Amino acid sequence: MSLTKIVLDRMTAFEKLIVEFSPGINVFIGTNGTGKTHLMKFAYAACDVSKTSADYAEKLTRVFLPSGGAPGRLVRRAVGRNAGSVEVHRSGCKLKASISTLMDESKKVRIAGADEWRKKPIESVYIPVKEMLSVAPGFRSLYAQRDIHFEEIYADVLDRAYKPLLRGPVDEYRGRLIRILGRYIGGNIKTENEEFFLSNRQGNLEFTLLSEGVRKLALLLVLIKNGTLTNGSVLFWDEPETNLNPSVFGTVIEVLLELQRHGVQVFLATHDYVILKRLELQRCTSDKVTFHSLFLENSDVKCRSTDSHIDIHPNAIADTFSDIYDQEIRKTLTGDDE
Amino acid sequence: MNQVFVEKNLRIEFPPNVNVRKFDDENTHGLSHCMKAVDFIVEEPKRTLYIEFKDPFHPKAEKKDREKWIREFQSGEIDEKLKYKFRDSFLYEWSSDRVKKPIHYYVLIALDNLDPVLLTSRRDDLKKKLPLFGLPPAWTRRFVDDCLIFNVETWNKHLPYRVSRIP
Repeated sequence: MSLTKIVLDRMTAFEKLIVEFSPGINVFIGTNGTGKTHLMKFAYAACDVSKTSADYAEKLTRVFLPSGGAPGRLVRRAVGRNAGSVEVHRSGCKLKASISTLMDESKKVRIAGADEWRKKPIESVYIPVKEMLSVAPGFRSLYAQRDIHFEEIYADVLDRAYKPLLRGPVDEYRGRLIRILGRYIGGNIKTENEEFFLSNRQGNLEFTLLSEGVRKLALLLVLIKNGTLTNGSVLFWDEPETNLNPSVFGTVIEVLLELQRHGVQVFLATHDYVILKRLELQRCTSDKVTFHSLFLENSDVKCRSTDSHIDIHPNAIADTFSDIYDQEIRKTLTGDDE
Repeated sequence: MNQVFVEKNLRIEFPPNVNVRKFDDENTHGLSHCMKAVDFIVEEPKRTLYIEFKDPFHPKAEKKDREKWIREFQSGEIDEKLKYKFRDSFLYEWSSDRVKKPIHYYVLIALDNLDPVLLTSRRDDLKKKLPLFGLPPAWTRRFVDDCLIFNVETWNKHLPYRVSRIP
């Protein structure tokens, strides 16, 4: 039951934007400030409330942390403008939050489609740019008890990571992915008193002693192992390249493609050439991959989607490399380096 | 009238006033049994260009040749071959007393999926091999001043010698 579409009308960075999603892997690219993370947060919040009794607009305020907890601050600012909305679609239903900047409490937020939406809960997880497992001990209880200024995605990802294992045998493909990731990080992951350890022949290593890249892959391993990422679930991953050496991207893409083949819908936001290139090289023709290029046009964010890497346009990542290459050639041809 | 040359499935045009030689011509080279040769040598006012074309997937290429190319490309063997082509060509020209200007080595690889990232990376590999990096302090002269790697699109974007595919 994957997400099919998002419609944003005068919200945060977006004036009017409609993005159709692939049921497989969705890759968002674009320069800073084109709303890649925002898009994923809007979609993630919709997935999350399908499993809880939380109100979509409340979840949005906890995920985006607008000043004073005012959902109206998520409405795109412009003179004479006082309302915006976000709709997230999946087969047969949609969840809509209409948000107003007016002071009248009764008109501030209207939610539509929530009952139908909750009839089919979606398991989801949002992996933020910052690594969280090493700061996990105590963070959840602190977050639950105190009003600390952390977007809720950080507490949520730890909730998912602390989930106990699924009952029954591990699916063959999940077993394979666990072995692949386990080999890379050099052991298994254990939890003791809310603290994560890498367990191998040398004993238990605290996460604070591990590299950030290993911690990140360990989180992915934990989420696969405990069944958070399984058929029908949705993974949002913001800049998977952060803190990872490009040499491991092939493994990351292999894992993501395999999850997609087994019914996990994936959303990635990336600035990285190697991530895109690995996807292009490692995908099979039957893999469902869509690239969404976000760009600014007259101060509005627009989106062009394509299933083919070569057709991504504009491609801020490739354009940057082309600029560097052109600069190299110009420097040689004009003899500036002589 | 432009000077037109055909190299397998590629056509290159040089303006009439450009001093260009088809260098790997067996009839004029004379040492092709023991020395490698780049495809063209172009004399520009400030430098000499050694030009090599690679068109591994041209329509007449046999399957085994394509596979050999991929193997050599992936293993870096292609850089070795490019290096020796350059050095043998240089020695030939030096022996002919024709080395008068800085030499640039330009390689065109007619593969569309060689994007600028891969072209830049191939160039760095070739620079190490020629070599253009880490030269001994005792060297007071260079036998190669720079190298560039192009695909057809970037070649036509940056150089005045138009290359096109023969349909």
